[in-house]
Amino acid sequence: MLEGHISKAFDGALAALHIRVIEMGGLVLDQVREAARAYTSWDLQAAERVIDRAAVVSAYDEGIFQDQFTLIARRQPVSRDLRAVFAMEKSVAELERAGAEARKIARTVLRQSGRPARATSTDVRQLAQLATSLMRQSLEALDRLDGAIAAQVIAHDEELDAEYAAGLRRLLTRAMEDPRHLDIAMEAAFVLKSLERIGDHARIVARHIQSIAPQEGRAAGAPPADPADPSWPADSSASADPPTPTPDAS
Amino acid sequence: MSSVEQGGINLKPSGRVAAAPSTALEEGGIGQTVGQTTVQDPIFSCRKVHVSYGNKHGIRDVSLDIGKRQVLAMIGPSGCGKSTFLRCLNRMNDTIPGARVTGEILLEGRDIHDRQLDVVQLRARVGMVFQKPNPFPKSIYENVAYGPRLHGLARSRAQLDDIVCSSLQRAGLWDEVKDRLAQAGTGLSGGQQQRLCIARTIAVQPEVILMDEPCSALDPVATARIEDLIDELQESYAIVIVTHSMQQAARVSQRTAYFHLGALVEVGETDRIFTNPRHKLTEDYITGRFG
Repeated sequence: MLEGHISKAFDGALAALHIRVIEMGGLVLDQVREAARAYTSWDLQAAERVIDRAAVVSAYDEGIFQDQFTLIARRQPVSRDLRAVFAMEKSVAELERAGAEARKIARTVLRQSGRPARATSTDVRQLAQLATSLMRQSLEALDRLDGAIAAQVIAHDEELDAEYAAGLRRLLTRAMEDPRHLDIAMEAAFVLKSLERIGDHARIVARHIQSIAPQEGRAAGAPPADPADPSWPADSSASADPPTPTPDAS
Repeated sequence: MSSVEQGGINLKPSGRVAAAPSTALEEGGIGQTVGQTTVQDPIFSCRKVHVSYGNKHGIRDVSLDIGKRQVLAMIGPSGCGKSTFLRCLNRMNDTIPGARVTGEILLEGRDIHDRQLDVVQLRARVGMVFQKPNPFPKSIYENVAYGPRLHGLARSRAQLDDIVCSSLQRAGLWDEVKDRLAQAGTGLSGGQQQRLCIARTIAVQPEVILMDEPCSALDPVATARIEDLIDELQESYAIVIVTHSMQQAARVSQRTAYFHLGALVEVGETDRIFTNPRHKLTEDYITGRFG
Protein backbone atom coordinates (compact mmCIF):
# COMPACT_ATOMS: atom_id res chain seq x y z
CA MET A 1 0.00 0.00 0.00
CA LEU A 2 2.89 2.32 0.71
CA GLU A 3 4.74 1.17 -2.40
CA GLY A 4 4.20 1.79 -6.08
CA HIS A 5 5.48 5.34 -6.47
CA ILE A 6 7.18 6.29 -9.69
CA SER A 7 9.97 7.61 -7.48
CA LYS A 8 11.59 4.53 -5.95
CA ALA A 9 13.35 6.80 -3.48
CA PHE A 10 9.95 7.86 -2.13
CA ASP A 11 8.97 4.19 -1.81
CA GLY A 12 12.22 3.62 0.03
CA ALA A 13 11.73 6.54 2.43
CA LEU A 14 8.18 5.46 3.31
CA ALA A 15 9.23 1.82 3.71
CA ALA A 16 12.16 2.85 5.93
CA LEU A 17 9.80 4.88 8.10
CA HIS A 18 7.40 1.94 8.29
CA ILE A 19 10.21 -0.41 9.31
CA ARG A 20 11.36 1.96 12.06
CA VAL A 21 7.84 2.18 13.50
CA ILE A 22 7.49 -1.62 13.45
CA GLU A 23 10.91 -1.96 15.09
CA MET A 24 9.85 0.45 17.82
CA GLY A 25 6.60 -1.48 18.24
CA GLY A 26 8.53 -4.73 18.62
CA LEU A 27 10.72 -3.16 21.26
CA VAL A 28 7.74 -1.78 23.17
CA LEU A 29 6.03 -5.18 23.01
CA ASP A 30 9.13 -6.74 24.48
CA GLN A 31 9.23 -4.05 27.18
CA VAL A 32 5.63 -4.82 28.16
CA ARG A 33 6.29 -8.57 28.31
CA GLU A 34 9.48 -8.10 30.31
CA ALA A 35 7.88 -5.64 32.74
CA ALA A 36 4.92 -7.95 33.38
CA ARG A 37 7.28 -10.90 33.88
CA ALA A 38 9.44 -8.81 36.24
CA TYR A 39 6.40 -8.02 38.37
CA THR A 40 4.83 -11.47 38.41
CA SER A 41 8.17 -13.22 39.03
CA TRP A 42 9.52 -10.37 41.14
CA ASP A 43 12.64 -10.31 38.96
CA LEU A 44 14.72 -7.22 39.75
CA GLN A 45 17.16 -7.78 36.89
CA ALA A 46 14.35 -7.94 34.36
CA ALA A 47 12.92 -4.70 35.79
CA GLU A 48 16.32 -3.03 35.43
CA ARG A 49 16.54 -4.14 31.80
CA VAL A 50 13.18 -2.51 31.14
CA ILE A 51 14.36 0.75 32.70
CA ASP A 52 17.63 0.63 30.74
CA ARG A 53 15.88 0.04 27.42
CA ALA A 54 13.38 2.87 27.99
CA ALA A 55 16.02 5.23 26.58
CA VAL A 56 16.12 3.17 23.38
CA VAL A 57 12.34 3.56 23.04
CA SER A 58 12.71 7.32 23.43
CA ALA A 59 15.51 7.35 20.86
CA TYR A 60 13.21 5.58 18.39
CA ASP A 61 10.50 8.15 19.07
CA GLU A 62 12.88 11.05 18.35
CA GLY A 63 14.49 9.36 15.34
CA ILE A 64 11.15 8.55 13.72
CA PHE A 65 9.98 12.12 14.25
CA GLN A 66 13.08 13.36 12.41
CA ASP A 67 12.50 10.87 9.60
CA GLN A 68 8.89 12.02 9.25
CA PHE A 69 9.92 15.65 9.31
CA THR A 70 12.47 15.06 6.54
CA LEU A 71 10.06 12.98 4.48
CA ILE A 72 7.37 15.67 4.60
CA ALA A 73 9.88 18.40 3.76
CA ARG A 74 11.45 16.52 0.86
CA ARG A 75 8.49 14.63 -0.61
CA GLN A 76 5.39 16.66 0.30
CA PRO A 77 3.20 13.57 0.55
CA VAL A 78 -0.52 13.96 -0.16
CA SER A 79 -3.67 11.93 0.25
CA ARG A 80 -3.08 8.36 1.54
CA ASP A 81 0.67 8.91 1.81
CA LEU A 82 0.09 11.95 4.02
CA ARG A 83 -2.47 10.03 6.06
CA ALA A 84 0.00 7.16 6.41
CA VAL A 85 2.77 9.46 7.66
CA PHE A 86 0.44 11.05 10.22
CA ALA A 87 -1.03 7.69 11.24
CA MET A 88 2.49 6.41 11.87
CA GLU A 89 3.35 9.55 13.83
CA LYS A 90 0.27 9.06 16.02
CA SER A 91 0.98 5.35 16.39
CA VAL A 92 4.51 6.13 17.53
CA ALA A 93 3.08 8.44 20.21
CA GLU A 94 0.83 5.61 21.43
CA LEU A 95 3.72 3.13 21.41
CA GLU A 96 5.83 5.57 23.39
CA ARG A 97 3.04 5.84 25.99
CA ALA A 98 2.70 2.06 26.15
CA GLY A 99 6.45 1.90 26.74
CA ALA A 100 6.08 4.44 29.56
CA GLU A 101 3.47 2.18 31.21
CA ALA A 102 5.91 -0.74 31.03
CA ARG A 103 8.53 1.48 32.68
CA LYS A 104 6.08 2.30 35.48
CA ILE A 105 5.52 -1.41 36.14
CA ALA A 106 9.27 -2.01 36.24
CA ARG A 107 9.73 0.84 38.71
CA THR A 108 7.13 -0.74 40.98
CA VAL A 109 9.35 -3.83 41.16
CA LEU A 110 12.50 -1.80 41.75
CA ARG A 111 10.87 0.12 44.63
CA GLN A 112 10.59 -3.27 46.37
CA SER A 113 7.58 -2.16 48.35
CA GLY A 114 6.46 -5.76 48.61
CA ARG A 115 6.03 -8.80 46.44
CA PRO A 116 2.40 -9.40 45.42
CA ALA A 117 0.54 -12.47 46.62
CA ARG A 118 0.26 -15.42 44.27
CA ALA A 119 -3.39 -14.68 43.45
CA THR A 120 -2.53 -11.11 42.57
CA SER A 121 0.37 -12.27 40.40
CA THR A 122 -2.03 -14.58 38.59
CA ASP A 123 -4.44 -11.70 37.91
CA VAL A 124 -1.58 -9.52 36.63
CA ARG A 125 -0.26 -12.36 34.47
CA GLN A 126 -3.67 -12.90 32.88
CA LEU A 127 -4.17 -9.22 32.17
CA ALA A 128 -0.60 -8.97 30.84
CA GLN A 129 -1.28 -11.81 28.44
CA LEU A 130 -4.34 -10.03 27.11
CA ALA A 131 -2.51 -6.69 26.86
CA THR A 132 0.51 -8.15 25.06
CA SER A 133 -1.78 -10.11 22.77
CA LEU A 134 -3.59 -6.88 21.82
CA MET A 135 -0.30 -5.08 21.35
CA ARG A 136 1.06 -7.92 19.20
CA GLN A 137 -2.09 -7.92 17.07
CA SER A 138 -2.03 -4.17 16.58
CA LEU A 139 1.62 -4.41 15.49
CA GLU A 140 0.66 -7.20 13.13
CA ALA A 141 -2.00 -4.90 11.69
CA LEU A 142 0.55 -2.10 11.47
CA ASP A 143 3.05 -4.40 9.79
CA ARG A 144 0.59 -5.59 7.15
CA LEU A 145 -1.55 -2.44 7.16
CA ASP A 146 -4.43 -4.79 7.65
CA GLY A 147 -7.74 -3.18 8.59
CA ALA A 148 -9.35 -6.53 9.48
CA ILE A 149 -6.75 -7.33 12.15
CA ALA A 150 -7.07 -3.76 13.42
CA ALA A 151 -10.83 -4.29 13.78
CA GLN A 152 -10.18 -7.42 15.86
CA VAL A 153 -7.92 -5.44 18.20
CA ILE A 154 -10.63 -2.84 18.71
CA ALA A 155 -13.20 -5.54 19.46
CA HIS A 156 -10.91 -7.48 21.83
CA ASP A 157 -10.05 -4.42 23.87
CA GLU A 158 -13.44 -4.76 25.55
CA GLU A 159 -12.38 -8.19 26.87
CA LEU A 160 -9.32 -6.61 28.38
CA ASP A 161 -11.40 -3.87 29.99
CA ALA A 162 -13.73 -6.51 31.48
CA GLU A 163 -10.79 -8.56 32.76
CA TYR A 164 -9.26 -5.42 34.27
CA ALA A 165 -12.49 -4.62 36.14
CA ALA A 166 -12.79 -8.21 37.39
CA GLY A 167 -9.12 -8.34 38.45
CA LEU A 168 -9.42 -5.05 40.30
CA ARG A 169 -12.54 -6.30 42.13
CA ARG A 170 -10.74 -9.45 43.21
CA LEU A 171 -7.73 -7.45 44.35
CA LEU A 172 -9.85 -5.10 46.45
CA THR A 173 -11.75 -7.98 47.97
CA ARG A 174 -8.46 -9.53 49.07
CA ALA A 175 -7.25 -6.16 50.38
CA MET A 176 -10.40 -5.78 52.49
CA GLU A 177 -10.00 -9.28 53.83
CA ASP A 178 -6.39 -8.59 54.80
CA PRO A 179 -5.84 -4.82 55.20
CA ARG A 180 -2.26 -5.32 56.45
CA HIS A 181 -1.05 -5.48 52.83
CA LEU A 182 -3.07 -2.57 51.52
CA ASP A 183 0.07 -0.82 50.20
CA ILE A 184 0.96 -3.86 48.08
CA ALA A 185 -2.61 -4.04 46.84
CA MET A 186 -2.43 -0.38 45.85
CA GLU A 187 0.77 -1.02 43.86
CA ALA A 188 -0.88 -4.01 42.19
CA ALA A 189 -3.90 -1.86 41.27
CA PHE A 190 -1.57 0.58 39.52
CA VAL A 191 0.07 -2.30 37.64
CA LEU A 192 -3.35 -3.58 36.51
CA LYS A 193 -4.26 -0.07 35.39
CA SER A 194 -1.01 0.22 33.42
CA LEU A 195 -1.77 -3.02 31.60
CA GLU A 196 -5.31 -1.88 30.86
CA ARG A 197 -3.91 1.34 29.41
CA ILE A 198 -1.42 -0.59 27.29
CA GLY A 199 -4.45 -2.31 25.77
CA ASP A 200 -6.02 1.10 25.13
CA HIS A 201 -2.87 2.27 23.34
CA ALA A 202 -2.94 -0.89 21.20
CA ARG A 203 -6.56 -0.13 20.34
CA ILE A 204 -5.73 3.45 19.32
CA VAL A 205 -2.87 2.23 17.12
CA ALA A 206 -5.40 -0.11 15.50
CA ARG A 207 -7.76 2.81 14.86
CA HIS A 208 -4.98 4.74 13.12
CA ILE A 209 -4.26 1.71 10.95
CA GLN A 210 -7.90 1.45 10.00
CA SER A 211 -7.69 5.00 8.69
CA ILE A 212 -4.96 4.10 6.21
CA ALA A 213 -5.49 0.41 5.48
CA PRO A 214 -6.67 -0.47 1.98
CA GLN A 215 -10.41 -0.96 2.03
CA GLU A 216 -11.80 -4.23 0.85
CA GLY A 217 -13.87 -3.94 -2.29
CA ARG A 218 -13.25 -0.25 -2.78
CA ALA A 219 -14.27 0.34 -6.36
CA ALA A 220 -12.72 3.01 -8.48
CA GLY A 221 -14.62 6.09 -7.57
CA ALA A 222 -15.73 4.86 -4.19
CA PRO A 223 -14.76 7.18 -1.34
CA PRO A 224 -11.88 6.13 0.92
CA ALA A 225 -11.94 6.40 4.68
CA ASP A 226 -12.82 9.93 5.51
CA PRO A 227 -10.85 11.65 8.27
CA ALA A 228 -13.73 14.11 8.52
CA ASP A 229 -15.95 11.25 9.63
CA PRO A 230 -16.63 11.74 13.35
CA SER A 231 -15.96 8.07 14.01
CA TRP A 232 -12.45 8.27 12.50
CA PRO A 233 -10.13 7.62 14.67
CA ALA A 234 -11.91 9.43 17.41
CA ASP A 235 -10.85 7.46 20.43
CA SER A 236 -8.14 9.39 22.18
CA SER A 237 -9.55 8.95 25.62
CA ALA A 238 -6.70 6.71 26.65
CA SER A 239 -4.23 9.42 25.78
CA ALA A 240 -5.44 11.48 28.69
CA ASP A 241 -3.96 10.99 32.09
CA PRO A 242 -5.41 7.89 33.68
CA PRO A 243 -7.75 8.12 36.63
CA THR A 244 -6.02 6.93 39.74
CA PRO A 245 -7.38 3.54 40.72
CA THR A 246 -8.56 3.59 44.27
CA PRO A 247 -10.41 1.07 46.35
CA ASP A 248 -13.40 3.42 46.35
CA ALA A 249 -13.47 3.39 42.58
CA SER A 250 -14.37 -0.26 42.52
CA MET B 1 5.21 -16.94 13.48
CA SER B 2 4.57 -13.48 12.15
CA SER B 3 7.32 -10.92 12.05
CA VAL B 4 5.77 -9.06 14.95
CA GLU B 5 5.73 -12.07 17.21
CA GLN B 6 9.49 -12.17 17.20
CA GLY B 7 9.55 -9.22 19.58
CA GLY B 8 12.75 -7.25 19.89
CA ILE B 9 13.85 -4.80 17.27
CA ASN B 10 14.57 -6.88 14.21
CA LEU B 11 11.12 -6.67 12.72
CA LYS B 12 10.48 -6.00 9.09
CA PRO B 13 7.28 -4.98 7.37
CA SER B 14 5.66 -7.65 5.31
CA GLY B 15 7.07 -6.12 2.13
CA ARG B 16 4.05 -6.65 -0.01
CA VAL B 17 4.39 -5.21 -3.47
CA ALA B 18 1.55 -2.97 -4.47
CA ALA B 19 -0.25 -3.94 -7.61
CA ALA B 20 0.29 -1.77 -10.62
CA PRO B 21 -2.24 1.04 -10.65
CA SER B 22 -5.43 -0.50 -11.83
CA THR B 23 -7.47 1.90 -13.87
CA ALA B 24 -11.17 2.03 -14.08
CA LEU B 25 -10.71 2.12 -17.82
CA GLU B 26 -9.34 -1.41 -17.73
CA GLU B 27 -12.40 -2.42 -15.80
CA GLY B 28 -14.78 -1.00 -18.34
CA GLY B 29 -14.44 2.75 -18.56
CA ILE B 30 -13.98 5.68 -16.19
CA GLY B 31 -17.68 6.20 -15.95
CA GLN B 32 -19.24 9.29 -14.50
CA THR B 33 -17.16 12.12 -13.17
CA VAL B 34 -16.77 11.90 -9.41
CA GLY B 35 -17.57 15.09 -7.54
CA GLN B 36 -19.66 18.19 -8.10
CA THR B 37 -19.22 19.36 -11.68
CA THR B 38 -21.60 22.29 -11.30
CA VAL B 39 -21.21 25.45 -9.24
CA GLN B 40 -23.52 28.21 -8.17
CA ASP B 41 -23.27 31.25 -10.41
CA PRO B 42 -20.93 29.82 -13.06
CA ILE B 43 -19.25 31.97 -15.68
CA PHE B 44 -18.70 28.94 -17.93
CA SER B 45 -21.09 25.99 -18.15
CA CYS B 46 -19.73 23.15 -20.25
CA ARG B 47 -21.87 20.14 -21.06
CA LYS B 48 -20.76 16.97 -22.84
CA VAL B 49 -17.86 18.66 -24.55
CA HIS B 50 -16.18 16.32 -27.00
CA VAL B 51 -13.12 17.21 -29.04
CA SER B 52 -11.64 15.11 -31.80
CA TYR B 53 -8.78 15.65 -34.18
CA GLY B 54 -9.64 13.61 -37.25
CA ASN B 55 -10.06 10.08 -35.93
CA LYS B 56 -8.43 10.82 -32.61
CA HIS B 57 -10.42 11.77 -29.55
CA GLY B 58 -9.01 14.59 -27.47
CA ILE B 59 -11.63 14.74 -24.74
CA ARG B 60 -14.91 12.91 -24.28
CA ASP B 61 -18.14 14.12 -22.69
CA VAL B 62 -16.58 16.60 -20.32
CA SER B 63 -19.15 18.48 -18.26
CA LEU B 64 -17.77 21.12 -15.94
CA ASP B 65 -18.75 24.53 -14.59
CA ILE B 66 -16.24 27.28 -13.91
CA GLY B 67 -17.18 29.63 -11.10
CA LYS B 68 -16.71 33.36 -11.02
CA ARG B 69 -13.82 34.71 -9.01
CA GLN B 70 -12.26 31.37 -8.31
CA VAL B 71 -9.27 29.43 -9.55
CA LEU B 72 -9.86 26.04 -11.15
CA ALA B 73 -6.76 23.91 -11.55
CA MET B 74 -6.73 21.18 -14.16
CA ILE B 75 -4.26 18.37 -13.57
CA GLY B 76 -3.50 15.06 -15.20
CA PRO B 77 -0.81 13.19 -17.07
CA SER B 78 0.44 14.41 -20.44
CA GLY B 79 -2.08 13.87 -23.19
CA CYS B 80 -5.04 13.59 -20.83
CA GLY B 81 -6.92 16.44 -22.48
CA LYS B 82 -6.61 19.23 -19.95
CA SER B 83 -5.01 21.69 -22.39
CA THR B 84 -7.48 20.62 -25.08
CA PHE B 85 -10.35 21.48 -22.77
CA LEU B 86 -8.70 24.77 -21.82
CA ARG B 87 -8.36 25.70 -25.47
CA CYS B 88 -12.05 24.99 -26.04
CA LEU B 89 -12.97 27.79 -23.68
CA ASN B 90 -11.81 30.55 -26.03
CA ARG B 91 -12.11 28.52 -29.21
CA MET B 92 -8.38 28.22 -29.71
CA ASN B 93 -9.03 24.75 -31.11
CA ASP B 94 -10.65 26.47 -34.12
CA THR B 95 -7.15 27.22 -35.32
CA ILE B 96 -6.19 23.53 -35.46
CA PRO B 97 -6.98 21.84 -38.79
CA GLY B 98 -9.27 18.84 -38.37
CA ALA B 99 -10.31 19.75 -34.83
CA ARG B 100 -13.98 19.19 -34.13
CA VAL B 101 -15.69 20.37 -30.97
CA THR B 102 -19.18 19.21 -30.00
CA GLY B 103 -21.23 19.76 -26.89
CA GLU B 104 -22.27 22.96 -25.25
CA ILE B 105 -20.01 25.67 -23.83
CA LEU B 106 -21.92 28.59 -22.39
CA LEU B 107 -20.18 31.80 -21.36
CA GLU B 108 -22.55 33.70 -19.08
CA GLY B 109 -25.38 31.66 -20.60
CA ARG B 110 -24.43 32.23 -24.23
CA ASP B 111 -23.08 29.48 -26.48
CA ILE B 112 -19.56 30.41 -27.55
CA HIS B 113 -20.10 28.53 -30.81
CA ASP B 114 -22.99 30.78 -31.74
CA ARG B 115 -22.40 31.96 -35.31
CA GLN B 116 -23.32 35.49 -34.26
CA LEU B 117 -20.55 35.58 -31.70
CA ASP B 118 -17.34 37.39 -32.64
CA VAL B 119 -14.36 35.16 -31.83
CA VAL B 120 -12.08 38.18 -31.37
CA GLN B 121 -14.47 39.54 -28.76
CA LEU B 122 -14.66 36.10 -27.14
CA ARG B 123 -10.89 35.99 -26.82
CA ALA B 124 -10.90 39.45 -25.29
CA ARG B 125 -13.38 38.21 -22.68
CA VAL B 126 -11.46 34.98 -22.19
CA GLY B 127 -7.77 35.84 -22.18
CA MET B 128 -4.97 33.34 -22.29
CA VAL B 129 -1.47 33.09 -20.88
CA PHE B 130 0.77 30.47 -22.40
CA GLN B 131 3.52 28.22 -21.14
CA LYS B 132 6.33 30.27 -22.65
CA PRO B 133 6.16 34.04 -22.25
CA ASN B 134 5.43 35.47 -25.68
CA PRO B 135 5.71 39.26 -25.57
CA PHE B 136 5.36 41.07 -28.87
CA PRO B 137 8.68 42.35 -30.27
CA LYS B 138 7.65 45.83 -29.24
CA SER B 139 8.10 48.08 -26.27
CA ILE B 140 6.74 47.20 -22.84
CA TYR B 141 4.19 49.99 -23.24
CA GLU B 142 3.05 48.78 -26.66
CA ASN B 143 2.74 45.21 -25.45
CA VAL B 144 0.09 46.29 -22.97
CA ALA B 145 -1.46 49.05 -25.08
CA TYR B 146 -1.97 46.87 -28.15
CA GLY B 147 -5.12 45.07 -26.97
CA PRO B 148 -7.00 48.09 -25.57
CA ARG B 149 -6.19 50.01 -28.73
CA LEU B 150 -7.42 47.12 -30.93
CA HIS B 151 -10.66 46.80 -28.99
CA GLY B 152 -11.20 50.55 -28.74
CA LEU B 153 -11.10 50.60 -24.97
CA ALA B 154 -9.26 53.95 -24.79
CA ARG B 155 -10.51 57.20 -26.32
CA SER B 156 -7.42 59.21 -25.61
CA ARG B 157 -3.72 58.78 -24.97
CA ALA B 158 -4.28 59.61 -21.31
CA GLN B 159 -6.86 56.82 -21.00
CA LEU B 160 -4.50 54.40 -22.70
CA ASP B 161 -1.72 55.45 -20.32
CA ASP B 162 -4.06 54.76 -17.41
CA ILE B 163 -4.90 51.29 -18.72
CA VAL B 164 -1.23 50.45 -19.28
CA CYS B 165 -0.30 51.73 -15.83
CA SER B 166 -3.11 49.93 -14.00
CA SER B 167 -2.57 46.69 -15.91
CA LEU B 168 1.14 46.67 -15.11
CA GLN B 169 0.33 47.47 -11.48
CA ARG B 170 -2.19 44.63 -11.25
CA ALA B 171 0.37 42.31 -12.79
CA GLY B 172 2.86 43.39 -10.15
CA LEU B 173 5.30 44.70 -12.75
CA TRP B 174 4.85 48.48 -12.60
CA ASP B 175 7.55 49.23 -10.06
CA GLU B 176 10.07 47.23 -12.05
CA VAL B 177 9.37 48.75 -15.47
CA LYS B 178 7.87 52.21 -14.90
CA ASP B 179 11.13 53.90 -15.87
CA ARG B 180 11.71 51.87 -19.01
CA LEU B 181 8.34 51.52 -20.68
CA ALA B 182 9.87 52.28 -24.05
CA GLN B 183 12.30 49.40 -23.83
CA ALA B 184 11.61 46.12 -25.61
CA GLY B 185 9.38 43.65 -23.74
CA THR B 186 11.62 40.85 -24.93
CA GLY B 187 14.48 42.35 -22.89
CA LEU B 188 12.79 41.50 -19.59
CA SER B 189 13.57 38.40 -17.55
CA GLY B 190 11.42 35.27 -18.07
CA GLY B 191 9.30 35.94 -14.99
CA GLN B 192 8.87 39.60 -15.91
CA GLN B 193 7.91 38.65 -19.46
CA GLN B 194 5.24 36.28 -18.14
CA ARG B 195 3.86 39.03 -15.90
CA LEU B 196 3.95 41.35 -18.93
CA CYS B 197 1.83 38.80 -20.79
CA ILE B 198 -0.58 38.71 -17.85
CA ALA B 199 -0.70 42.53 -17.90
CA ARG B 200 -1.41 42.36 -21.63
CA THR B 201 -4.23 39.91 -20.97
CA ILE B 202 -5.90 41.91 -18.23
CA ALA B 203 -5.53 45.18 -20.17
CA VAL B 204 -8.52 44.19 -22.32
CA GLN B 205 -10.65 43.63 -19.22
CA PRO B 206 -11.35 39.93 -19.59
CA GLU B 207 -13.79 37.96 -17.45
CA VAL B 208 -11.79 34.76 -17.51
CA ILE B 209 -8.04 34.14 -17.68
CA LEU B 210 -6.83 30.83 -19.01
CA MET B 211 -3.31 29.81 -18.05
CA ASP B 212 -1.58 26.91 -19.74
CA GLU B 213 1.34 25.90 -17.50
CA PRO B 214 2.24 29.56 -16.91
CA CYS B 215 5.17 28.82 -14.61
CA SER B 216 6.76 25.80 -16.21
CA ALA B 217 9.49 27.93 -17.80
CA LEU B 218 10.12 30.04 -14.70
CA ASP B 219 12.42 29.77 -11.71
CA PRO B 220 10.96 29.28 -8.18
CA VAL B 221 11.08 32.99 -7.31
CA ALA B 222 9.32 34.03 -10.52
CA THR B 223 6.85 31.18 -9.97
CA ALA B 224 6.08 32.42 -6.48
CA ARG B 225 5.39 35.91 -7.84
CA ILE B 226 3.04 34.56 -10.51
CA GLU B 227 1.23 32.44 -7.91
CA ASP B 228 0.90 35.48 -5.69
CA LEU B 229 -0.50 37.36 -8.65
CA ILE B 230 -3.00 34.58 -9.38
CA ASP B 231 -4.16 34.89 -5.79
CA GLU B 232 -4.78 38.63 -6.24
CA LEU B 233 -6.35 38.33 -9.70
CA GLN B 234 -8.74 35.69 -8.44
CA GLU B 235 -10.62 38.44 -6.58
CA SER B 236 -11.64 39.92 -9.94
CA TYR B 237 -11.48 37.13 -12.50
CA ALA B 238 -12.25 33.49 -13.01
CA ILE B 239 -8.94 31.72 -13.60
CA VAL B 240 -8.44 28.32 -15.14
CA ILE B 241 -4.92 27.00 -14.83
CA VAL B 242 -3.40 23.89 -16.35
CA THR B 243 -0.40 22.73 -14.39
CA HIS B 244 1.84 19.71 -14.07
CA SER B 245 2.86 20.80 -10.60
CA MET B 246 0.58 19.19 -8.04
CA GLN B 247 1.91 21.51 -5.38
CA GLN B 248 1.08 24.51 -7.52
CA ALA B 249 -2.46 23.27 -8.08
CA ALA B 250 -2.80 22.75 -4.34
CA ARG B 251 -1.40 26.21 -3.58
CA VAL B 252 -3.33 28.40 -5.99
CA SER B 253 -6.71 26.82 -6.70
CA GLN B 254 -10.01 26.47 -4.91
CA ARG B 255 -11.25 23.67 -7.18
CA THR B 256 -9.26 20.96 -8.91
CA ALA B 257 -10.25 18.83 -11.87
CA TYR B 258 -8.38 15.63 -12.67
CA PHE B 259 -8.32 14.43 -16.29
CA HIS B 260 -7.29 11.00 -17.50
CA LEU B 261 -7.27 9.72 -21.09
CA GLY B 262 -9.56 12.49 -22.26
CA ALA B 263 -12.12 12.05 -19.50
CA LEU B 264 -12.82 14.23 -16.49
CA VAL B 265 -12.34 11.70 -13.70
CA GLU B 266 -12.89 13.80 -10.62
CA VAL B 267 -13.52 17.39 -9.67
CA GLY B 268 -13.90 18.93 -6.26
CA GLU B 269 -12.64 21.33 -3.66
CA THR B 270 -8.85 21.42 -3.82
CA ASP B 271 -8.58 20.77 -0.09
CA ARG B 272 -10.48 17.52 -0.49
CA ILE B 273 -8.83 16.39 -3.71
CA PHE B 274 -5.38 16.60 -2.12
CA THR B 275 -6.29 15.03 1.19
CA ASN B 276 -9.06 12.60 0.40
CA PRO B 277 -9.65 12.01 -3.30
CA ARG B 278 -12.58 9.75 -4.06
CA HIS B 279 -11.37 8.13 -7.27
CA LYS B 280 -8.50 5.69 -7.19
CA LEU B 281 -7.07 7.12 -10.41
CA THR B 282 -6.94 10.57 -8.84
CA GLU B 283 -5.28 9.22 -5.72
CA ASP B 284 -2.71 7.21 -7.67
CA TYR B 285 -1.88 10.23 -9.79
CA ILE B 286 -1.53 12.84 -7.06
CA THR B 287 0.49 10.50 -4.86
CA GLY B 288 2.90 9.88 -7.73
CA ARG B 289 2.05 6.25 -8.44
CA PHE B 290 1.62 6.85 -12.15
CA GLY B 291 1.56 9.73 -14.57
